[in-house]
Amino acid sequence: MEAAFGSGDGDEEATAVVAKSQASLGQIFEQKYRPWDGELGPRWMRNYAIFRHHVYGVFTGKGHRQYHPMVRLLILIIFLASLTPIPMLFLSSFIGDEGGFFEKMWGINRYNLWGQVLGYFPRNLCMWPLLTAVVVGGMISDDRQHGTSAIYFSRPISRLDYTSMKYLSVAVILGFVIVFSYFAYYTSAIVFKSEGWAYLADTLPIFLGGMLAGIVLVITYTSIGLALSSISQSRFFAAIGFLSIIYGTKLVALLVELQFGTTFMYATSPYDCLAHMGQFLLGIPSNYEHPVSISIVSLMVMNSVSIWLLVSRVTSLEVTRE
Amino acid sequence: MSEVDPFSEAPVITAKGLRKMYGPHLALDDIDLEIPRGAVGILGPNGAGKSTLFKCLLGLITTTSGEGSVLGLDIRTQGEQIRSKIGYMPEYNALDPNLFAVDQVRYSGELLGMNSKNATQRAHEVLEYVGLKDQRYRKIETFSTGMLQATKLACALVHDPDILICDEPTNGLDQRARGFMLQTLNRTVREGNRSVLMSSHVMDDVQDLCDSIVMIHKGRIVVQSSIEDLVQQVDKEIEMVIWGGASKMESELSSMGLENRRLGRVIRIKVESETTVDKALEAAVSAGVQVRQMKEYEPDLEDIFLLVMDKLGAQIKGTEDLMTSEHTGGD
Repeated sequence: MEAAFGSGDGDEEATAVVAKSQASLGQIFEQKYRPWDGELGPRWMRNYAIFRHHVYGVFTGKGHRQYHPMVRLLILIIFLASLTPIPMLFLSSFIGDEGGFFEKMWGINRYNLWGQVLGYFPRNLCMWPLLTAVVVGGMISDDRQHGTSAIYFSRPISRLDYTSMKYLSVAVILGFVIVFSYFAYYTSAIVFKSEGWAYLADTLPIFLGGMLAGIVLVITYTSIGLALSSISQSRFFAAIGFLSIIYGTKLVALLVELQFGTTFMYATSPYDCLAHMGQFLLGIPSNYEHPVSISIVSLMVMNSVSIWLLVSRVTSLEVTRE
Repeated sequence: MSEVDPFSEAPVITAKGLRKMYGPHLALDDIDLEIPRGAVGILGPNGAGKSTLFKCLLGLITTTSGEGSVLGLDIRTQGEQIRSKIGYMPEYNALDPNLFAVDQVRYSGELLGMNSKNATQRAHEVLEYVGLKDQRYRKIETFSTGMLQATKLACALVHDPDILICDEPTNGLDQRARGFMLQTLNRTVREGNRSVLMSSHVMDDVQDLCDSIVMIHKGRIVVQSSIEDLVQQVDKEIEMVIWGGASKMESELSSMGLENRRLGRVIRIKVESETTVDKALEAAVSAGVQVRQMKEYEPDLEDIFLLVMDKLGAQIKGTEDLMTSEHTGGD
């Protein structure tokens, strides 16, 4: 045994360590132009690329538009919070609370369906405006800040495609949380309570009224949010601007009502116009003295002005310099 | 209009009587243009109309009057098709700092209509071509200016365009990065057989890469020719490096009727006849100065530019007068 305690000193088997005659030199950079003869896809593929870039970014942090991890966490929390009536419905059906507290609070009725979309606390105080602010904040302002609009407009992307795909991306994210959670709430109630066709026929018109109100809410918030994003170069400004409009108009209208006893100022508040219209669509008593037509006209004006602002600002986005 | 084969000898870009007005301001005035295949430099002071010309060629803005075509496609009605065949590398930053380089280039390809798989594969290829193979998976916000320029070039090349429009491609680059950028563009022209339209304030860059130039001044094209032809038109000069009394030498030359221009110790004398060299040496003897070097001066693009601007009466003494603080990096 020579290994540990042998008498030899190992010289008889000595081998010199020398460099290999062909040492590895790594890969030498060779610049070579490679042509590409593929076919470019049609307009819908280009538009889908914009849509996917913005929507997939919510789900994955790699390869698509980046949403801050805290933003993604907030979106998840808001989404889960919007689904909270579902476990309560389950609990209600599990304990057999027919006509009891749980049924009143979370069961399907006009007031609860309205509240799922348009209730002020917590949905329109904490959830939907925050959701819109974080999603819409950098949607166009990032392009202004980083000059990335040139990437779009130097390619066969029209300003209409650019604007509509950005709009659709925001609307789909908001719609997924707001409208989908509403839909899930309604269908869960039917499943948990084992309701039949008669129940469906009774409640479907109310449900559709609420869904229409939800869609108008998504459209209005998207229009206002994107308009603010298009006039700024910072995510923060657009987000804060949106929250200021939603909360500010509501607060001013409330103060005017308390001081002068009139609800007309609520026509300037996007939330209250939506809530008023929602009450009309779902057939519940109105909280407002002024006619619902004023709120509907006000919503139309808000959307028109926002879209006009959005279009005019996108038209001014430059290719050669920003 | 029928499409032009990008590999034929026909001009890739043409314009006739092109005018563009922004309100009362005339940005492009009666532009007649025929840009051949290969590398072409677009020169002109700030505000001359280069960017407006690019926007017209990309079909992004409507022209006030006149007509034009890019690869046989009408710039007034076929802007989208033109932009599918052109790669545009903007001067200013146009990259999302939060994306990896490979994702930015892939997205640029997808915006042209490439499917995701093709765009990804092509993104890897072009990033390797522009020298960013090892930086593909780095966030753009960590890139140096040279790497940003290379990424913009990769975005422009992702669909292998017939024409590449580069707006100040060497802007802000150090000597090494500048050399590599010019080499890459040169290879794209010579090896890839593509056309490059490059605007630059740096005459050396244009001279290194381009075969011909288009010079724009106040919205009008003042020069449109090959560099070789232009060099022939510039007066021949001899260049002398003088030691010990350059100003005395200058006045001596002037008194002998020799037209000259002085740049410190270097004096360039216009060659008017075969006796000019002898006369210059006589002047040196009379002035009592040492002639350290004497050679025939080869005019470069800078001289051509100065000559043209001189004829136009512009208040521009050299290319540095074209630079803004954005080009020079401020004070």
